[in-house]
Amino acid sequence: MGTPERDVLRRVGEASVLVLVSLAAGPKHGYALIQDVKQFAGVELGPGTLYGALDRLERLGLIESMPADDRRHPYRITAPGAAALRAHLDSLERVSAAGRLRLQLGGI
Amino acid sequence: MSATGARQARLVGAALRCYPGRWRRRHADEAAELAALLIRDGTPASSIAWNYLVGAAREWLTPRPGRPLSTAAAALLAMTCLLGFSAALVAETVPAKAASTTQPASSPKPARPSTGVTSRRQFTPCRPVTPRLATGASAAAGLLVVQGTTSARSC
Repeated sequence: MGTPERDVLRRVGEASVLVLVSLAAGPKHGYALIQDVKQFAGVELGPGTLYGALDRLERLGLIESMPADDRRHPYRITAPGAAALRAHLDSLERVSAAGRLRLQLGGI
Repeated sequence: MSATGARQARLVGAALRCYPGRWRRRHADEAAELAALLIRDGTPASSIAWNYLVGAAREWLTPRPGRPLSTAAAALLAMTCLLGFSAALVAETVPAKAASTTQPASSPKPARPSTGVTSRRQFTPCRPVTPRLATGASAAAGLLVVQGTTSARSC
């Protein structure tokens, strides 16, 4: 296994990661993002939280807004965003595997 | 639009006005529409407005290239003052009598002589300072006030 990529998503917060996971399936606007996150993660993102996450991700260059459709701005994940998400999920997988193994060894 | 709908829209609109102008120019229309959709789905307008308010506070406190850190610090100071003011308002509603319960156990009570005649002045008990004065002064300094500050006594 090579050196793991730097995990830029470690400090952006859960909402930003959820938004990025949702956008990995294709461009979405705010309302669709909230519905999708609720469906796959069971988390209800508040609209203020959503816009905070979108701004943060856009500033980091991990997503970009597309031309407005009526009043709604759809957002899409960028190539660096996809790479960052992959690195973050890899990191989570390593932690998850270690946690499961230790629980098993500990007999808990 | 019904009266309730108009009231809900006003509530959300007021919360959106708390965002910085740069954010409002970019997102306000879309955010209002998103709020309308969420309200239609059954989310309480107050919860949406509160979430936008928290988002606005976060937005103001995030340092940006065009907005120096001093602005964020000023916003933080203003919020602290607001909190202090709110705490003062809450403290004012507590009866002055409650303040006297915070007196340390070791402080001696004025002893009433059992016999004999002494001057009237010696029996005057200590009076608690009115909470209004103590909390008001602290709130002006932007400090969080605890009720304990009002336990000071004037003798």
